[in-house]
Amino acid sequence: MRMRKSGHRAGLLLFIGMLFPGTMGLPVAGWAQESVAVRATLIADAVPDDPTASAWNAIAPSEFPLSPQVHWPTRILQVTVQSVKARAIHNGKDVAIMLEYADPTEDPDDAAAVEFMVGEKKAHFAHGQPMAQVEGGPVNIWFWKNKDGKAVDMTAKGFGTLKAQDDQDVKAKGAYANGEWKVVFTRPVTTANNETDTQFKPGDFVNISFAVWDGKKEAGGDLKEKGSQKAISSWWYFRLDPAPNYTPYGYAALAIALAAGFQFVVIRKLKKGSST
Amino acid sequence: MKGPLIKPLVLTGGVYVVLKFVLPLFTAPLPSSLIFLYIALTVTGVLIFTTLSEQAMEGVFGPVFRFLSGEGVGGAMQTARLGLLVLFPLLVGWQTYSSTVPSDHPPAENRTIHPAPPGEFAGLSNPIPNTPENVMAGKGYYAAYCSPCHGAKFDGKGPAAGGFSPPPANFVDPGTIAMLQESYLFWRIKTGGVGLSTEGMPWKSAMPRWEVELKDEQIWKIIMGEYDGAHQKPRTWE
Ligand code: HEC
Repeated sequence: MRMRKSGHRAGLLLFIGMLFPGTMGLPVAGWAQESVAVRATLIADAVPDDPTASAWNAIAPSEFPLSPQVHWPTRILQVTVQSVKARAIHNGKDVAIMLEYADPTEDPDDAAAVEFMVGEKKAHFAHGQPMAQVEGGPVNIWFWKNKDGKAVDMTAKGFGTLKAQDDQDVKAKGAYANGEWKVVFTRPVTTANNETDTQFKPGDFVNISFAVWDGKKEAGGDLKEKGSQKAISSWWYFRLDPAPNYTPYGYAALAIALAAGFQFVVIRKLKKGSST
Repeated sequence: MKGPLIKPLVLTGGVYVVLKFVLPLFTAPLPSSLIFLYIALTVTGVLIFTTLSEQAMEGVFGPVFRFLSGEGVGGAMQTARLGLLVLFPLLVGWQTYSSTVPSDHPPAENRTIHPAPPGEFAGLSNPIPNTPENVMAGKGYYAAYCSPCHGAKFDGKGPAAGGFSPPPANFVDPGTIAMLQESYLFWRIKTGGVGLSTEGMPWKSAMPRWEVELKDEQIWKIIMGEYDGAHQKPRTWE
């Protein structure tokens, strides 16, 4: 009897041991990545193009630190804006991205931008500058300036190549209150210009980077931040949330049924075997 | 608890623990698919070994079969058996779900931090004599050009470091310049992030391409100042 019992216990252990390989693949990776992505929430209505729209309140922002641009000349060693919060919403047709950041003064030359890669080729975050061993692609920059009150849809492939596109697909609107800028960019999810515009596909992660200029005038009359003298980030991630997909539940249900059936057959077989 | 079952169990568990927890202490963690493969190999080996003798076979499988069939199993063991019979299909279901559900996370970043340098940089040696004056000059350039990102303390925590991912290298950490040769640093400083090969993900790196702004001689001096300031020594072969 004693022998038998320990045998059973051992059987139990072995069975658990055999389950081990199956459980090893459980999703453990993933929590390490907190604020590295902006996720555009899927809604049914029109996307809000106004920074003060209440739809934004329902969306949790992701925050990204900014650096003074010291990567290429002309550099700047200190900038006003230290980080930017980003939220996004889409409805399958249009996408809206809102940047929110602290800037103590409202100035006509205050400006902000988001940048994306275009097409399959990788592009360096600094205006798609050439890479020695990798063939790079262009970047698409959405630029907003307070005094213009609109967005400029731009393309660059290397320093000194930045220019406004012929097709302007991006809209932007800024609102300043309580020492804080909120700027909303909106664009259709896809456009006709594959060569110059980034194209979004719900569920797919793409790269995004941020830039902010404090357009304050210094004592001498020069702008504190302008051109390459700005606050920047390198690449982070952006994606449009996909529509809910229930097929994995279906597959799981099928797998459970199969496993239960398999178990049933095996045990029946074992019972038959031992009773003869 | 004794019996023929224990050894294979301990063996398999041991292999798993080594692969999953001990190995990552020394090198990069293994992907779970590889761990799965190794465990499968171990289990197969054990199975082949035991099925070689009928006696061993009965010793290993007898208790398992009796447990599974429920033959003569009672009390707590019976409860455990039923629990297992419920748990197994659920685990299979969970496994299927998690392998078919679309990922909600950004693509994993398998960036190679130290890809091989282009041939023309391999084996270069520092032509500048290592004198206190040259080291001082190098530290001066470092303070002007590098410290905004790599930090006055050579620790990668400069005032301009925050916005960049990957972050500026921490030269005090034994995993950076201490394991590199001077020629490697010369390549990295000269050609910057954009000089990296695809595995190094050059499009993400904020490391400037200093050949545009600095002379080779300045770069060699900076290398000396950098090692000195970070209290590291270049790696040398031979
Ligand atoms: C704009 C910020 C910035 C500045 C300024 C900068 N670096 Fe870097 N550096 C980086 C980043 C980010 C990395 C890590 C990514 C990479 O390896 O390209 C890096 C990596 C390096 C590495 C590679 C270390 C390793 O373990 O592979 C070296 C060497 C280096 N920098 C030296 C310098 C020197 C010397 C200077 C000044 C002449 C300098 N850097 C200026 C951002 C900067």
